[in-house]
Amino acid sequence: MSATAVLRAVVAELRVAGMLAMRYRASFLAETVMSFGWVAWTVIPLLVVYEYRADVQGWTRDQALLVVGLFITLEGLLGALVEPNLRAVVEQVRDGTFDYTLLKPIDTQLLVSIHRIQPTELPHALSGLVVVGVAASRLDPLPGLGDVAAAALLLVAGLMLLHGLWTIVVATSFWFVRVDNLSVLLRSLLDAGRWPVGYYRGIVRFVLTWIVPVGLITTFPAMALRGQLQPQLLLATCGVSLGFSLLARAVWRFALRHYTSASS
Amino acid sequence: MIRVAGLTKHYRTPKKAPGLLGSIKSLVRREYETVKAVEDVSFTIAPGERVGFLGPNGAGKTTTLKMLSGLLVPTAGEVEVLGHRPSDRLPGYLSRITLVMGQKQQLLWDLPARETFELNRALFGVARDEARRTVDELTELLELKALLDRPVRNLSLGERMKCELVAALLHRPEVLFLDEPTIGLDVRMQVVVRRFVEEWNRRTGATILLTSHYMADIAALCPRVIVISAGRLRFDGPLQDLVRRHGTDRRVVVAPVREPTPEELALADRFQRTDDGKLVATVPAADVKAAVDQALRALPIQDLAVEEPPLEDVIARLFAEQEPAA
Amino acid sequence: MSAPLGTLRHAAAAFPDLLRVSWADMVAYRAEIVIWFLTGTLPIIMMLVWDRVAEAGDIGRFDQPAFAAYFTATLACRQLTGSWVVWEINQLIRTGSLSPALLKPLNPLLFLSAESLAEKPLRAAILVPLVALLFLWRPDMPLPLSPVQLSLAVVAIGLGWLLNVAIQVCFGCLAFRLEQTMGLYMVWFGLWALLSGYLFPLELMPPVARAVVQVLPFRATLGIPVEVLTGALSGWDAVGGLGLQVAWVLAVGLLARLLWRRGVRRYEAYGA
Repeated sequence: MSATAVLRAVVAELRVAGMLAMRYRASFLAETVMSFGWVAWTVIPLLVVYEYRADVQGWTRDQALLVVGLFITLEGLLGALVEPNLRAVVEQVRDGTFDYTLLKPIDTQLLVSIHRIQPTELPHALSGLVVVGVAASRLDPLPGLGDVAAAALLLVAGLMLLHGLWTIVVATSFWFVRVDNLSVLLRSLLDAGRWPVGYYRGIVRFVLTWIVPVGLITTFPAMALRGQLQPQLLLATCGVSLGFSLLARAVWRFALRHYTSASS
Repeated sequence: MIRVAGLTKHYRTPKKAPGLLGSIKSLVRREYETVKAVEDVSFTIAPGERVGFLGPNGAGKTTTLKMLSGLLVPTAGEVEVLGHRPSDRLPGYLSRITLVMGQKQQLLWDLPARETFELNRALFGVARDEARRTVDELTELLELKALLDRPVRNLSLGERMKCELVAALLHRPEVLFLDEPTIGLDVRMQVVVRRFVEEWNRRTGATILLTSHYMADIAALCPRVIVISAGRLRFDGPLQDLVRRHGTDRRVVVAPVREPTPEELALADRFQRTDDGKLVATVPAADVKAAVDQALRALPIQDLAVEEPPLEDVIARLFAEQEPAA
Repeated sequence: MSAPLGTLRHAAAAFPDLLRVSWADMVAYRAEIVIWFLTGTLPIIMMLVWDRVAEAGDIGRFDQPAFAAYFTATLACRQLTGSWVVWEINQLIRTGSLSPALLKPLNPLLFLSAESLAEKPLRAAILVPLVALLFLWRPDMPLPLSPVQLSLAVVAIGLGWLLNVAIQVCFGCLAFRLEQTMGLYMVWFGLWALLSGYLFPLELMPPVARAVVQVLPFRATLGIPVEVLTGALSGWDAVGGLGLQVAWVLAVGLLARLLWRRGVRRYEAYGA
């Protein structure tokens, strides 16, 4: 499959997504405004904690705010790119129209990843970046260019991880057809990522870093911005996310071979 | 073009005992049973053929079609279409075939049909002006020009089916798999779809495989039929042969000049009156002469005809004969 | 809600059957229940966080064991008072399956409530090992459960569930008129999580905010059952809390009844 074919498919799907999102103007506006509003929801519990403490496990309020901002960004991207697609695939598998998706001459994993994009969630991701920006500007010392680059790289690695995680979740929907709530599950797994992983102890910290790599997605870029991330961890993270993507791909292919479309 | 040898598909489905206890049991351990959807089916189809798949519900028609299009991986046996193994679903294969399912739609529900066409155009990598030409040709054949800019949810079932056909044929596939394309449509719309499929086959030389509940579809469209029941191939050949081989009964139909008297009716004991005042005898082919003789002797005849039974009856009989004892 | 007495008796007679049917239905989709259960585990995260925060010294009246007790109770009460009736009503109206549901001799709301209730035994069953695990982790968790306190807590949980269902019916009824009702419900949910004690004990809020939040319906769905269960509210204070819950159940219940009746009338007149 050529790069132009992929690009053409992405553009066409984006176009449809835009048209679908804007079809009801009022709710389009409401959703856009709302996606800013959810920022408060994530920030307030953090502010309550730092009402009582200046420092928790080596994280000051502004440093912890970096993690929250990154968490919001990922949440926004999840809502814009991952969850609507997940819902769409599960819906398709249930009513059998997934057959049509399978018969398009485009890689199915790619196609289901771009099939339903929700542009109204993008402001949420953006406001997360604003939180990160505000928090970073209050750091002392200010993050250098190298730190920002490392954080960006880690963010991309985190997205790849999320995508892999999500691919595996969709693959399971071939077996358990009634799973509209899988995206809710994904969300609740990620919820732990709103706090620095350093807050957690022992086994929980280990699981959140390396098994369900939620902490890795938000905490590591924040540590990079603080200039505290060792290069080995950066490399390890990139390696893990690459490996996980390949694993997800394998699971996906296995699931497709065993997909029995809803007969009738 | 299409070659199928020893095609077999088995499913494993969970069994659930009824009642509360059953559901608690299945909570702990699920039991499975194997369903043999398709069993050792073989045939070949030449380019440009129109072939109808017949069989009762659950016979394995749709499963076969899905294996041919590449949606399902066969449990055993071989399938080759256009030189490909369908289940690989290579882009080079998928862009040369299409599948239309009468019960499932691919049109984007909230947008005009035109947008689905544009999406499919991009996904199949069809050049813009080429796509425009194909859409123009299809919309003209199907007479739906005015409908393309209306949201799909505002279209009638028949109009949606027409649009589905356009979306499915935009890339000018060489092989068309049509699964119940006329299901739920009214008689007039069925005829439109049927005529269209025939015309498209004539124009493009595409190979067409069709399943349908409506015998009229098959009779009008498919010179060749393949009958599947309980997963096995029961018949493969021209439609006339099927009728000749299994439709051994004939209907002798008499239109009387006047109301027959009870005495006349008693003499013509092979005949039964129908609602429209005709007298009909359904007899084995060998007894046609006897029935006609009886009619000539006993009844006040205005017109007499010997007919083949309707296709539905032939099929029903075929399935009844071959239903496994279990 | 005051349906004519005959209907109510009929409904009460049908309720055990309904429970049985929805129980069987739910067991068939056991994987989902477990997933739904996992979605309510945010309190565990908050527990771990506050446990860390309290490591360096008490916060208000909370030390580490007290936080553990608070969030264990929150987790349990959330599972036992929760409901997704709003989603079901939304689906009923949206997909048009409300019409056949209305033709049945039983009020669809009653059916949905039965479904929600039927989940509870399974949820409670999943809670047992989880709570046991948390107790192993912090054996000194203070849960002063006298028989009186425990029975008050059970009542508070029941009232919390009722209030949740009533609130969700109200939001569900918006689907009779609006396109995107789940979005509105999510706004409510967001406020709820912040103001019900779900994410942090309401006592930790600034005094002014706390005084307001104290009487809002958010706390009545979750905060009060949690406070009764952990012993923060006891004796006559607890009875007062239950009184507040009853008041909210009545108020919201009447509103729900009004909205539902109007909505159904409109639905029958114009269709979906």
